[in-house]
Amino acid sequence: MCDLFALSASRNYTAAASLPLFAVRGRANVHGWGIGFFRNSMPVVEKSGEKVFTDGRLHGSFERLARVVDSPIIVAHIRYKSSGQVDECHAHPFVLDFWGQSWIFAHNGKAPAIEPYLSRQQPILEARSDSARTLEFLRDYFQEAEPRRPHAPFIQILREALARLLQEYPGEYNFLLTNGRVLWAFTNHRQFLLLKGSRKLEEALLLTTINEGLSPEDWKRITARPGSGGKILLIAGGDLLLLEDLVLSA
Amino acid sequence: MCELFAMSAGHHYTAHQYLPPFADRARANISGWGLGFFRNGQVLIEKSCEGIFTEDMLHDSFRRLSRVIDSRIILSHIRCPKSGHQKESHAQPLTDHFLDHNWLFIMSGESQKLMDYQSPRPLMSEELLAARVFEFVRDEMESGLASRPRQSLYQVLALGCKKLITNYPGQYIFFLANETVLFAFLNNSQVLTYQDPKALGEALVVTTVTGGLTEHPDNWSAFSQQDHSRGQILIISGADLLYLGHL
Repeated sequence: MCDLFALSASRNYTAAASLPLFAVRGRANVHGWGIGFFRNSMPVVEKSGEKVFTDGRLHGSFERLARVVDSPIIVAHIRYKSSGQVDECHAHPFVLDFWGQSWIFAHNGKAPAIEPYLSRQQPILEARSDSARTLEFLRDYFQEAEPRRPHAPFIQILREALARLLQEYPGEYNFLLTNGRVLWAFTNHRQFLLLKGSRKLEEALLLTTINEGLSPEDWKRITARPGSGGKILLIAGGDLLLLEDLVLSA
Repeated sequence: MCELFAMSAGHHYTAHQYLPPFADRARANISGWGLGFFRNGQVLIEKSCEGIFTEDMLHDSFRRLSRVIDSRIILSHIRCPKSGHQKESHAQPLTDHFLDHNWLFIMSGESQKLMDYQSPRPLMSEELLAARVFEFVRDEMESGLASRPRQSLYQVLALGCKKLITNYPGQYIFFLANETVLFAFLNNSQVLTYQDPKALGEALVVTTVTGGLTEHPDNWSAFSQQDHSRGQILIISGADLLYLGHL
């Protein structure tokens, strides 16, 4: 199973302490890695189809990027493929534009039902995987909801998109979605662990899917409540702004 | 009634298009004005107890500041005569540091009972409703997160607002912002939001001024609240309305 990581702060931050730990604890994922962040409101993604950890050593580029990348929001993904090939193109994060801005997306899950999805919009992501199709599905839903902007809150469109995604393409979804200012997270099958104000790592808000967290501190475990459609998180600056269940109509 | 203004953008932005019309449409409020914004995570406030308009002239400082201030979030308040204060320190925005952030606060409203509220950490000793509301909301958010650290910021704010309108009935509209997010609460009247149709992703403007601040009121989205025992909270970041919660 892939693993996800995010750092969110109200100012530029590096994840020099937590990103290497994330890679070490997620080293069973051997099919690539990626780091995404924003610079001057533009998305930047560095990714690779190589192992993040080989022969007891972190991938050299990952290690250097972890020290250098500074941004209010940093997203990272370590891949264990459940769909698609092993190469740089299939590594996460992915980037698409919608709702008037660029979005970075990283996913962890298994949703074979969405693999045949054909997007009605351009561009189409090159990767042939459930994750790429999931991002295109979200992009398409938001594009079609564009006339409801700006009156409809973003979360209303997101709730609708997720409900339709789960109805039409049932599967296990767990993703991070950021425009560089706020970070949305959703899970319907795995936990997120959240920590704010670490004394051992960065003081920014940290989020990961790694089961034990990244430090021996009081990580808050967030899981979807049984019977709900999943859990939606909204993070901005160093704060968890919102935490709610996705309600699916019967 | 005092009038409120906020602008939230994805990057540093000036509100020069919107602040002069805001002042113009709120010119009946002659008891002072204020502008608050963020620079490198720090709060900066410029305020005055002078009228926003003198005869037909917009206050010189306000006019210049509206051209110059650039920030991801800008708040402005124009004070009505009913507030009964003439000291510059009583003009809004107010500010305080809590929950790891510097916050800006502006409000408009009425409540007799809340003037009795005694905060363990008063912002000022003078009788000023805005200060009491800010203290109450801040105290509730702090104690809410201290006792339930796993809650989200929205949850503690919503609980605090619910307690405010239950324990201290009145009419409240306030904007509360840190460097990344703007919360707007109302339990009466309305707030209006606007995005320039030609630049949807650039900035979101929020105001209490009826009809909005542009020539075309139809482009403004109104969030109205008639029942004072209930309320709404908007969460805004960048140029997006992210969430609308009903209490």
